[in-house]
Amino acid sequence: MTRILVPGEEVAQSSQRLAYTYTDGQKTYATVISLFSPEGKVIPLQGPYEPIMDDAVIGFVSDSRHSGYDVQIGSANKCFLSSRETRSSFKLSDMIMARIKSVDETGTIDLTDARLLKDGQLAKISPVKVPRLIGKKNSMINLLSHATGCQIYVGRNGMVFISNEGDFSLAREAIAIVEDQAHISGLTDRMAQFLADKTGKDMSNPPEVQYDSMPRSEGGSHSRDEYSRDRPRRHSGGFSRRSNERR
Amino acid sequence: MSNDPTKKLIDDKGIRLDGRQIDQLRDVKIISRVLNNADGSCLVVWGKNKILAGVYGPRECIPRHDASPYRSKVRCRYNMAPFCSLEEHGRSGPSRRSQELSKVISEAFENVIIAESFPKTAIDVFIDVLQSDGGTRCAALTAAAVAIADAGIPCKDLVCAVAVGKIGDTVVLDLSKDEDNFGQSDNPMAFASRNGDVLLYQMDGLLTREETETALKMAQEASKKIHALQVEALKEGFEKKGIKFLPLSIKPEQVQ
Repeated sequence: MTRILVPGEEVAQSSQRLAYTYTDGQKTYATVISLFSPEGKVIPLQGPYEPIMDDAVIGFVSDSRHSGYDVQIGSANKCFLSSRETRSSFKLSDMIMARIKSVDETGTIDLTDARLLKDGQLAKISPVKVPRLIGKKNSMINLLSHATGCQIYVGRNGMVFISNEGDFSLAREAIAIVEDQAHISGLTDRMAQFLADKTGKDMSNPPEVQYDSMPRSEGGSHSRDEYSRDRPRRHSGGFSRRSNERR
Repeated sequence: MSNDPTKKLIDDKGIRLDGRQIDQLRDVKIISRVLNNADGSCLVVWGKNKILAGVYGPRECIPRHDASPYRSKVRCRYNMAPFCSLEEHGRSGPSRRSQELSKVISEAFENVIIAESFPKTAIDVFIDVLQSDGGTRCAALTAAAVAIADAGIPCKDLVCAVAVGKIGDTVVLDLSKDEDNFGQSDNPMAFASRNGDVLLYQMDGLLTREETETALKMAQEASKKIHALQVEALKEGFEKKGIKFLPLSIKPEQVQ
């Protein structure tokens, strides 16, 4: 049965390595408010965006310099797109989609593979809800684009780009509902019903939408857990807190 | 501190001014997710205390020279509203007292927040005392802990706090304003809920060694009750859906 975990609540009787938990050597405890699924996964309900290499993110240009562009992606740390990484030039407030090239030990993010997102608007959702907005095998995002006729791009940082063609106000409404009810099961079916009522379209089998650089969910809707678990965290490099204390 | 001769803080049956037993907490209600625009928030009503906490972060650390390349900086700001008590507070910015409380509350949370995950950032905790009746720092810690958890900031534990004091030569739990002002000793304590680590212990007025032991046990017992309420509030905040608003009993009406 799914239950809600609060920080410090016991997850396992033994010492285990799970995302969003910590261990004192004997037992494993949750670190964030999260859902504990029957499969033994910890799915956070709330939290900041933790950038990892190769994440597709969406943001806007907040400063343009000779060497490159500062990009606002809603992360606490600086995010930079070097001029060497892009052939095109951007203006202030241009919306872009990019891939994270690297995150250094102090959290500074370098971007690459940037491309301009034209004629649209940004919506923001909580970064931990992104897998739900994409859905299993992109089911949710296909549903939304089919129903609204908008192109919808989702960044891992929680920024969502909605193109102006199509019913974007309905798209915003639907995205807000997904964010609000992300932790309640059967969301895709309820959303299909909601969109069918609103648009009068048949939502039972939405066609798959092809985007050239859409961030894809890899298999399950919460694949990020395994993804981040196997990856070295950015502060486990050679510049860690511990090595500093030894000095 | 000396006993006020006009008041008897504990009667012959061991009942206090407000009708409580010596080891009884005031009524506590904790509600999470009360603010829309903060990352995490909490309202604590603790007897006559009303405390609102809002959390932002991790976010960019301004001023930049405050930032650490190793960890996120935990900054708490405890503030009493000008209308919160009979004496006026806050007419001329932060007082010596509120600066001290901001500092000790920040230090309590530095022990539980896993700040190493967010270098060069700051976690801002704003605590506003809307109404005060003694024991606001404990209620403030309780509120801030729920708000931090509600914001999804990774932490090892929930902080829960309660005060124990001495009035009329008896060790009692959770002093109210009158008991604090006319009692002999006031000891606010904060614990980590999981292993009972003491994160804050302040002492105003003296206790003997034996009294301190009794006080510590009493506070640890009570902090478990507070912790249960915190967990309940957090879970409820995520189970209910829809627009969040401050849970005042009067609902706004349409005017036009």
